Amino acid sequence: MTLDWSVVWEHRWALAAGAAMTIQLTVLTMLLAVPGGILLAAMRLSSLRLLRWPATAFVEFFRCTPLVLQVYWAFYVLPSEFDVRLSGFATGLLALALNVSAFNSETFRAGIASIRRGQSDAALAMGMSSFQAFRIVILPQAVKRVLPVLATTWVALFKDTSLVSVIAVSDLAYTAMQLRSRTFRILEMLTAMALIYWAMGYPQAKLTDWIHRRMAGKE
Amino acid sequence: MIEYLEPILDNLPFLWAGIETTLVVSALSVACSLVLGFAAGLGRCYGPAWLRLPLVFYIDSMRAIPVLVVIVWTFFAFPILFGVTMTPIVAAVGAISVHVAASIAEIVRAGIESIRQGQSWAGLALGMSRAQLLRKVILPQAVTRMLPSFGSAVIVTIKDSAIASVIAVPDVIRHAESVVAQTYRPFEVYSFAMIVFFAILFPVARVVDKLYLRVGHRGRS
Repeated sequence: MTLDWSVVWEHRWALAAGAAMTIQLTVLTMLLAVPGGILLAAMRLSSLRLLRWPATAFVEFFRCTPLVLQVYWAFYVLPSEFDVRLSGFATGLLALALNVSAFNSETFRAGIASIRRGQSDAALAMGMSSFQAFRIVILPQAVKRVLPVLATTWVALFKDTSLVSVIAVSDLAYTAMQLRSRTFRILEMLTAMALIYWAMGYPQAKLTDWIHRRMAGKE
Repeated sequence: MIEYLEPILDNLPFLWAGIETTLVVSALSVACSLVLGFAAGLGRCYGPAWLRLPLVFYIDSMRAIPVLVVIVWTFFAFPILFGVTMTPIVAAVGAISVHVAASIAEIVRAGIESIRQGQSWAGLALGMSRAQLLRKVILPQAVTRMLPSFGSAVIVTIKDSAIASVIAVPDVIRHAESVVAQTYRPFEVYSFAMIVFFAILFPVARVVDKLYLRVGHRGRS
């Protein structure tokens, strides 16, 4: 077995572009999924059944099906059945954002529920509307409290972005697998892919641990 | 309505074979990752220092690398490195187990560490050996506390099994792809696959929710 690692260096810019795409997908998804999660959580905690019901169905659906299947579904069904024509990137981002919104909503719901009832009672007694009480009193405390969980979700999302490679979005996984079949340096390319993911993900995982430790037991 | 079901009904035995594969891959992965994860978790808590360091490295690395990458690497690169060939199912079960075992190990560690130190001292003071202490005092309490998290890990494992389709494991998704290629009916076939996964995962998720409510607080000291 002869190994030729120079092939990895030769394609460093392609791999770097793939890694940049992975980061871009992670950041954009989270930017969409935090407001999405808050909205869904607020809907699920609402007293109106008309809001509660669809939000619950949405969250349960996205939590109880695999992300890779959601990506396939969006990619093949949206254009053929609903005439929605999105690029591969937009399709992947859509599936990721909806999926992570569902998970975030559970996080925020737990965070909001953990804020004592007295806080909203006090806000209402001070003459705030229930929306003001939610926005000014409850939500900021809840968000702070769930920060460690959001960090964990972030790392999971970073890894899950690799699944959009199945619809040919040129993220790190797709780029490396394309280079593998083009150069026939299978072991080198796939190992490089794993190492790049590791180099990017390891500090994030450690940072998450640090956030968990820092926030542990804090109000 | 019936014409919507046509691509499903015509290929039902084929799709059912895919469902069976998904269930088999999931069940094997759950079993293997529990065994591996328990070993790694116990090794990390009680093992000698030379074992603990590599275990920490393995556990943290698996938190950084996507399961897709581990599956693809195991199927395509591992055989080159070690000169063995694997069927896609073996590669998938191996890769998913190694990946999920890392989170099981963390659950095991958290469970063991949640038992107060005083319990160990009391056990040792009564003249128990370390092994007796672990078996009779710590694990019975810790395992109860781990149960809900194990449930969550089972859900993750079943969902991860869907990714095995990328290395041509003939699971629900792979077979759905074939049926779509023949019938050009992505909506019906992929929706069917969605319903299959939902039908498997929703009851499991409800059981896990129950575990969190019923067992999660138990034995809290």
